[in-house]
Amino acid sequence: MSQDSERLSDAVSRRKFLVSTGAVSAVGLAGCSSGSESTPTDEPASDNDSNDDSSDDTPEPTEAGDDQPSLLTAEGSSTVYPISNKGASYWVSNAPPSDGEYWGSNKEEGNTVPGWSDLGEPDMKIADYFASLYGFEPTDQRSKPPYVVNVGLSHSGTGCKAVTDGLVDIGNSSGPITAELGWSESKAQEEVVDHVVGRDGQPVVVSSDIYDAGVTELTGEQIRKIYQDEITNWKEVGGPDQSIYCVGRAEGSGTDTAFRLNMLGDAEAPMPGVDTRQGQNHGVRQVIQQNDGAIGYMALAFTNEQVKPIAIDFDGTVYKPDKDASHTIFDSDYPLNRDLHMYTTITDDTPSGTDKREAAFINMFLTTFGQVVFVEGVNYIPLPTKDIEKEKGKLPDQA
Amino acid sequence: MVNKRTASQWRTAGRRRIAAARDFVEETDPDALVVGAIGTVALFGAFVGFLLTSSYTSIAFVVFLASVGYGWWRHQELTARGVTLAMTVASSLILVLILAFIVLEAWPVIRYETSELLGIPVPGLGAFTSTSWDPRSNPNSFSMLPMIHGTLLVTAIATLVAGPLGVAAALFLSEIAPPVVREFVKPGVEILAGIPSIVYGFIGFVIIGPWVSDRFAIVGQGTYLFVGIVVGLMALPTVVSVAEDAINSVPEPMKSGSLAMGTTDWQTMTTITIPAAFSGVSAAVLLGVGRAIGETMAATVMLRNEPKIGEPLYNVFYGFETLTSVVANKYGSAVGLQESALYLAGIILFVSVLLLSVGSQLIEAHMHRKLGGAE
Repeated sequence: MSQDSERLSDAVSRRKFLVSTGAVSAVGLAGCSSGSESTPTDEPASDNDSNDDSSDDTPEPTEAGDDQPSLLTAEGSSTVYPISNKGASYWVSNAPPSDGEYWGSNKEEGNTVPGWSDLGEPDMKIADYFASLYGFEPTDQRSKPPYVVNVGLSHSGTGCKAVTDGLVDIGNSSGPITAELGWSESKAQEEVVDHVVGRDGQPVVVSSDIYDAGVTELTGEQIRKIYQDEITNWKEVGGPDQSIYCVGRAEGSGTDTAFRLNMLGDAEAPMPGVDTRQGQNHGVRQVIQQNDGAIGYMALAFTNEQVKPIAIDFDGTVYKPDKDASHTIFDSDYPLNRDLHMYTTITDDTPSGTDKREAAFINMFLTTFGQVVFVEGVNYIPLPTKDIEKEKGKLPDQA
Repeated sequence: MVNKRTASQWRTAGRRRIAAARDFVEETDPDALVVGAIGTVALFGAFVGFLLTSSYTSIAFVVFLASVGYGWWRHQELTARGVTLAMTVASSLILVLILAFIVLEAWPVIRYETSELLGIPVPGLGAFTSTSWDPRSNPNSFSMLPMIHGTLLVTAIATLVAGPLGVAAALFLSEIAPPVVREFVKPGVEILAGIPSIVYGFIGFVIIGPWVSDRFAIVGQGTYLFVGIVVGLMALPTVVSVAEDAINSVPEPMKSGSLAMGTTDWQTMTTITIPAAFSGVSAAVLLGVGRAIGETMAATVMLRNEPKIGEPLYNVFYGFETLTSVVANKYGSAVGLQESALYLAGIILFVSVLLLSVGSQLIEAHMHRKLGGAE
């Protein structure tokens, strides 16, 4: 008897607990929703000269108190993130031209940023200069750019989705949007503008035991067969008698999409040979490091002594992971090279697809300065000059 | 059984209700009625505002809080009745809303995986008849079977680890061990429950995974066997603690009576204590199983994250994916149908945990009837 009543009281107190936590979270939710409602109005940048970004193709600086948030947002691929985020942090700092390290030239310390003379050595702060090319009023204040750029980190597919849904201004993606969202080429042409800001040479890597056993080069066909389960043992490609542990990246990551597209010939090619999938480049590196007989693909910056890139033979041309070879995986004709994209959407307000804010920011990457600092500086491959010209052609005319 | 009421019975019942309501209104302070009405309307308004993500939600909620505050000050008893009712409704409503949201989100993939049974299209059937998960290549397929298979294997292994170990330890602690040992060991076991699951997962990923792969000559790391063992160890403290409480709460006179009949301690344990504590012990094991099914982090980190079904079916040396790990692994990069498929995995998890908890309640009710504990 006594035991029963005790149990009953237990149950009651548990129920009470649940109810009270429910009430607490309800209060929290109410707080949240009202909080998020008010955020856009108290952006720090709203007291600057802000620009009505979308209503007009030739914007004029408007009075302070303009209710259009003067914030540029970007989101997407972890692969493009280093470029985009480094650019944004330079932008937000709005360093003066006398800085030398981040922007401009400092004669006393002998520092000059790369590509400084190509820009014509403007006497303006970094964000002021690039924004003024598109008609924005300079603030001439450190740490106070004409508008703030905010970069979020997610995945290529999510970034593409966010930009097409209008959640952000720029969608970062390491795979083409057609493959990420399963769009047709014409739909992509109608809805978004594809800005390529750099390239990634995607290496194929093997674990050190395989590399040391002499498998330092594979043909493209062999790699395709490994990932499609036609080759399952290293001895079939000249290695030891050992099963192949085939590592892939998560479906929906730009690295995975690009690999399917460039190596298997189709963004929707099946990969029945994959034994494990990892969400991040770090995960791929870790499992290849601690398992024998592993093969994987990743971003170039993640290779090390135990996870070694191999040379790949595409139709007789051998691309080596060595900068001095005649054909290297850094070359733009290396088939696993992939473009790193920043997508902007075509809307009724901006039929050209890129408004002035987006153009000013993206244009920063399409200069010698941007390519060296933001692309090469984070271990990616800069665009050749003719591609830069082509990408610049997609931007609206400068003011 | 539903009573068929005639129209006149309905009418009398309705009239009685109205009369009761009128009495209530007449007997209650008009002041309390007004505050109650304002509070109710405000709370309802806050709910509607929340659904519409209106910026006035907080105002309505503040009005509700103010009316509750005033009511508490002036008419505590009535307010307490009203507020407890409102909270009960709110908590059930939250549950219903969450459920509705998950089902709505999963609907696209359920519709996509429609397949025909005896000529009738059944939505969602395709997810349970094929075994292929492929969100990229054409045609996309989102079979839930690999994950269900993985969850079943992990849960079975975890139960095999946590069940016998936990129940035996509980029996020892409660019936055999001297009190001093019990006082030290039991809190110790309970502290084990406080180790974060990612720590187990990390040890599993960095140490156990490569070691197993090496020793058992497995291609790469990730086995259901060791995920099951790790999850079983994680569930162990719950099983020990709850089972020990159950065994300990068997009334002393029952045991004394048995001993007085001349049985040995062991005979008393097997014939009296364990049967009497059976409902509690099985609840302990089911709680542990529930934890094993819902365990995410360790499984996510240790498994291969590529939904497949091993050959043969009982091959526990290759571990691919469970219902929880598929969500944890793919939520970030999933868009469209794949995202929707993750919600479907959530529904399956929800239903299985629901069945488990209903099952444990049924066992408990059955044992109550059998042992006459409900007198």
